[in-house]
Amino acid sequence: MANRDRVAAIGVGYSTTGRRTGLNRRQLVAQAAKKAMEDCGITPDQIDGVVLHAGVAGAEPPGLDWIDALDVAQMLGITPITFYNSDQGGPAYIHAAISAIAAIQSGQAHTVLTVRVINQRLSSAEERDSVQGPMRIPGDSQFTMPFGSVTPIQTIAALPAQRHMERYGTTEEQFGAHVIAQRANAVLNDDAIMRDPLTMDDYLNSRYVSKPVRLLDCDYPVDSASAVIYTTEERSRDFAKKPVFVESAALSATDILPAGFEKLHDLNMNSPYHAAQTLWSRTDLKPSDVDCAQLYDGFTIIVFQWLEALGFCGEGEAGSFVESGATRLDGSLPVNTDGGACNVGRRHGANFCIESIRQLRGNESGARQVKDAEVAVWANATGPFSGAVLMTAN
Amino acid sequence: MTTASINIPESATAADYPPIPVPNALTEFFWEGVANHKLMILRCGACGTYIHYPRPICPSCLSMDDLAPEQVSGRGTIYSHTTTVQPFHPYFVDKVPYNLIIVALEEDENIRITSNLIDFPNDDIRIGMPVEVTFQEVAPGLTLPLFKLA
Ligand SMILES: [Zn+2]
Repeated sequence: MANRDRVAAIGVGYSTTGRRTGLNRRQLVAQAAKKAMEDCGITPDQIDGVVLHAGVAGAEPPGLDWIDALDVAQMLGITPITFYNSDQGGPAYIHAAISAIAAIQSGQAHTVLTVRVINQRLSSAEERDSVQGPMRIPGDSQFTMPFGSVTPIQTIAALPAQRHMERYGTTEEQFGAHVIAQRANAVLNDDAIMRDPLTMDDYLNSRYVSKPVRLLDCDYPVDSASAVIYTTEERSRDFAKKPVFVESAALSATDILPAGFEKLHDLNMNSPYHAAQTLWSRTDLKPSDVDCAQLYDGFTIIVFQWLEALGFCGEGEAGSFVESGATRLDGSLPVNTDGGACNVGRRHGANFCIESIRQLRGNESGARQVKDAEVAVWANATGPFSGAVLMTAN
Repeated sequence: MTTASINIPESATAADYPPIPVPNALTEFFWEGVANHKLMILRCGACGTYIHYPRPICPSCLSMDDLAPEQVSGRGTIYSHTTTVQPFHPYFVDKVPYNLIIVALEEDENIRITSNLIDFPNDDIRIGMPVEVTFQEVAPGLTLPLFKLA
């Protein structure tokens, strides 16, 4: 970001996180935002922007508590604000982060609170059984859902994973190697929910959801809010924690199928591939400079897509790269050092941002601290839209 | 015959029908074609590009005036597949395990159709297998374009 003042991340915080917390979205947001403000010792009057990305996984239950960015500002006493944004759709913290970074770079705001919140009110079985009468499907889904293509586990996980296997020779054991490695990181993380070590037998004996995707390849649904505060480099040294800097940030939207497909490589090389090209074009740093990578793991195949898209290995080589041990905590590129969303809970990308910041602060990750970590990359989402951010300690 | 004629009995439950397509002005030709056992794909007359899902503009030449449905061969190859084990909708509770396939059409491999492969063991499905379309009434009043091995 040679031509602009840098943006810094200064404070991070999580709400209570778990299954059926009983907390509504307003409570979850309040908890996470308060933690993030306390983390860096900032007060609401020092913040002038709020970005919220709120969502519910699956069907929206009746009576769901509504919250938007202005509610957040009012609730926390952040006033006046010069920049806000609220997007109730889409699954990704990347939108909130990139909106905040762009607002600060363009001078629309100097200090922005970003929050991602999600309530996971229904289990998939409850959701399935709540369908009353025949379901009628307008829009593009009329070309997929009648055939039983009804969940992202099939569309953005199983179909790409199967193609990765048959096209590149990727094996289920290689998917398992990633699941086991990131669980090993979760064992070292007091905040993780899933903390029992896994073996390859555990993985291979676990149940399929949609082949080749197993339950252990899926992130873990939780109620959770995550907050990160960004500010200008100039202001960033005034707070309690060592600031971490945004080196490059990129967002990309493509269609999985079919529009634009001919311009990209494959079901596995779509928006992450394009986002990664943009990310590297905006920095002098290279993949070999990265000390740890926090890669979206809604499903295991997405981690493989990002490893290839970001250039940590060649196209189709993620399976052997992971199997080699390179992505383990003691490997050349530790990946998902907090245990990933499979183990810390589905925070739709925010945990990867927060873990990058903690690693780069250098003293907050305990037994999972990557020694001398100076450059981290985190990524969010896949398929039709996604993004990635490169952060540095200095 | 138009797709408005997909008539579903009042008494039908979610377990009786898969999610039912609701056509609009852009997509009605597709389901009308299915009802007549034809696989129709929107095509740009100006530059020849196939457009799926249907859109009111050609992404290659931006033509808006020269788009028309065209019957395609219904032949293609399997681009990817999965066998779903856990049901996420009432209709599929007693259908699991069932396969999903993506078909790359013979006319343009970038045009991909989601469907099911019938009369073939799920475990033996492989990418690249040649398939061809067939039409089946999967529930009263609802016909879908499915595929069989070519
Ligand atoms: Zn055209």
